[in-house]
Amino acid sequence: MNKITKASISGLAIISSAALLAGCAGGTTEPTDPVETSFLACGVSDEGSWSDRSFNQAAYEGLEKAKAEIAGVDIKGFESHGPSDFGPNLDQAVADGCDVIFAVGFNFSDGSLKTAVEANAASHFVWIDGWNEGWDNLKPISYKMAESSYLSGYLAAAYSKTGVVATYGGMDIPAVTDFMLGFENGAHQYGIDSGKSITVLPWQFVGDFGNTQVAKSISDGFIADNADVIFPVAGSLFTATYESIKESGKDVVFMGVDKDVALTSPEYADLTLTSVEKRMTQAVFDVVKDLSSGGAFTTTDYVGTLANDGTGLSDFYDFDGKVDSAIKAKLEELKSAIIAGTIDPTKDPR
Amino acid sequence: MSDTKEKKDMTQVKLSGRDILQDILSSSILRIVIAILLAFVFGLLLVIFTNARVLESLPNFFGNPGEFFAAASSSIGAFFEAFFKGAIFNPNGKTVEAQFRPLTESLRFAGPLIAAGLGVALTFRVGMFNIGAMGQILFGSAFAAYASFQFHLPVGVHLVVAVIFGLIGASIWSAIAGWLKAQTGAHEVIVTIMMNYIALNLVTYAMRTDILNPGATSTTPQAHAPDPNAVLPLLLGPGFKIHWGFILVLASVAVYWWLMEKSSIGFKFRAVGFNPDAAKTAGINVKRIYVLSMAFSGLFVGIAAVNQTLGDSLRITPGIDGGIGFEAITVALLGGSNAIGVLLAGLLFGAMKATGPAMQSAGVSPDILSVVQGLIILFVAAPPLIKAMFRLPNQRSTIAIDAPTTNKSHKKAKALKEAGVDSATKAEATEEGSEK
Repeated sequence: MNKITKASISGLAIISSAALLAGCAGGTTEPTDPVETSFLACGVSDEGSWSDRSFNQAAYEGLEKAKAEIAGVDIKGFESHGPSDFGPNLDQAVADGCDVIFAVGFNFSDGSLKTAVEANAASHFVWIDGWNEGWDNLKPISYKMAESSYLSGYLAAAYSKTGVVATYGGMDIPAVTDFMLGFENGAHQYGIDSGKSITVLPWQFVGDFGNTQVAKSISDGFIADNADVIFPVAGSLFTATYESIKESGKDVVFMGVDKDVALTSPEYADLTLTSVEKRMTQAVFDVVKDLSSGGAFTTTDYVGTLANDGTGLSDFYDFDGKVDSAIKAKLEELKSAIIAGTIDPTKDPR
Repeated sequence: MSDTKEKKDMTQVKLSGRDILQDILSSSILRIVIAILLAFVFGLLLVIFTNARVLESLPNFFGNPGEFFAAASSSIGAFFEAFFKGAIFNPNGKTVEAQFRPLTESLRFAGPLIAAGLGVALTFRVGMFNIGAMGQILFGSAFAAYASFQFHLPVGVHLVVAVIFGLIGASIWSAIAGWLKAQTGAHEVIVTIMMNYIALNLVTYAMRTDILNPGATSTTPQAHAPDPNAVLPLLLGPGFKIHWGFILVLASVAVYWWLMEKSSIGFKFRAVGFNPDAAKTAGINVKRIYVLSMAFSGLFVGIAAVNQTLGDSLRITPGIDGGIGFEAITVALLGGSNAIGVLLAGLLFGAMKATGPAMQSAGVSPDILSVVQGLIILFVAAPPLIKAMFRLPNQRSTIAIDAPTTNKSHKKAKALKEAGVDSATKAEATEEGSEK
């Protein structure tokens, strides 16, 4: 009784102080700029922080880029620690008089964005990974991630020595499964082209984008099943896969998503074969640039594809020498075929 | 010197957890106010030293100290302005509704914190730690969600049934821990913590299958949305998000007060909390009280679960607890485990949650508020530090609180304390006897 009670009290203190330190480190305080601003661009994050090295960060860097490069643009970022923050953050962004509000992520489909969009007809919203349900004040930004993921799957299968590759997702939502579908199709295509037997292990889902324990146990399972290329489509959870690979001691690599992971998280570059980039930074920047220079707000979709460079594979960096030049040439060929429409990366593989 | 210190540590170790808990819960109001103020002072230091303008002025501090102080005071001003606008009243709101919305948001966030806080507080009064509010909220949510879409009942009836299901779910999960303690002596801290994970995985399973998610094509765990009949209606109309769940919370504060201060079962709860051996001698079935108190605790936690599930039109996922289960512990500690204290502590923490967006808008990281919350508890739960720092008089002679003195006076203080505790329990026992 005695010790346990004490331990639980000090445990509380430790938890709180850990939260304290994490809070300091992850703080994204924006300096209030005294310079006159003519355009205020705001972003509300998906669950997690603006510094998640992945999805949220990619979007936020677009805002930061706009602030740095376009005179008169100021930005505000609202981090959501959970879905219950979506609504209040959107309300606050509206109350702050933001000229455009970016809702970053599919998860805003829980009704919070619908409420905000319908209640504030005069505010302009941009929904990344979203769609328009007939609103005239919302512009969707979406990506055909299956296109670039198809290339990554082909590369993964060609790189694999065991002939087994695997992918897992954060949540079973279209914005995630689009990657996985393209990956699986690409891997199977390599099997057909090369005549080798290629296995794509059954898909797994973590359930969210924060649970490193589950992500690690999924990765452990993949490695135990002989997979030697893993494709985690789960934001920052690739770090758990990295850890799992290191612990196994096996010759396994993974591929990043959203950002050029080898470049932005160099401490993980030694196992990053390549990354499937979702170039939100540029898309966000382009929207802010257009609107802030007097462009009219439109509800037209922005769709990132291989053709408009909205998505694509990252540089191979350290792995450049380990990828056969014939494969590199083949990837270029496939890319042209996807752009031309002769390959459908989203066909049902089964 | 070091010898004295060693002796002191030894005597402190001999203090039982129950004593420490009671000491924390008997914190004077002055001590709590000081703890809150001190925590805000530390929070403000963080506000100042994370402010970009302040950081820019620092290298040039000796050249132009004025700029540093101007930047510091403007960052503090921004903090308080954001707190006021985000949690109480926003004078910049375009409509009257928008101006008053922050206050209702504070209440909305405070609701589940207060209810779960009452649940945890109840077990504190019985000398137990219910660390399992998270699991109880999950179980309550699962039950409430099940009733909310599997049944199709008339308006009014459906809501009542769903609420009752939520309360029962949380209460059952909580009572299991009490039963294990009563039957096997298993410590409730360990059991409730473990049961959090069992609940999480059970509920996740139910949300992946037809039990809670019939007809779903995705494997993402999520419960079916409640029928409109089973949703807590909005309290102040569509302009505000606050719903009838808050009325349930206020009612549960009143019930808690009556239960703990006026009812005979509440008296037995407290008697066991003071001294289970004395309570047993006085004829109280202590084991039964363990189970009952955990069951009652679960009922209050269930109110929080119902608020989350049927109130805030959120997706019902395994994350429905939203950290409330653990924040409830801090609310109960800060509130001194009495009804009004928990209500006020919950309102304070609810306001801190509600003000998050306004803080971010003002360029202050809302994480600083989490720091302030943690510090408040640290200061409330570390009375020796507070007393030593402010040289407050001792209300109770407790060794841990005494200023460092000689070994001799420690023994004396300890004897005094034991006498004090003993006489208190004797008094309780007599009271119990006379009631019969």
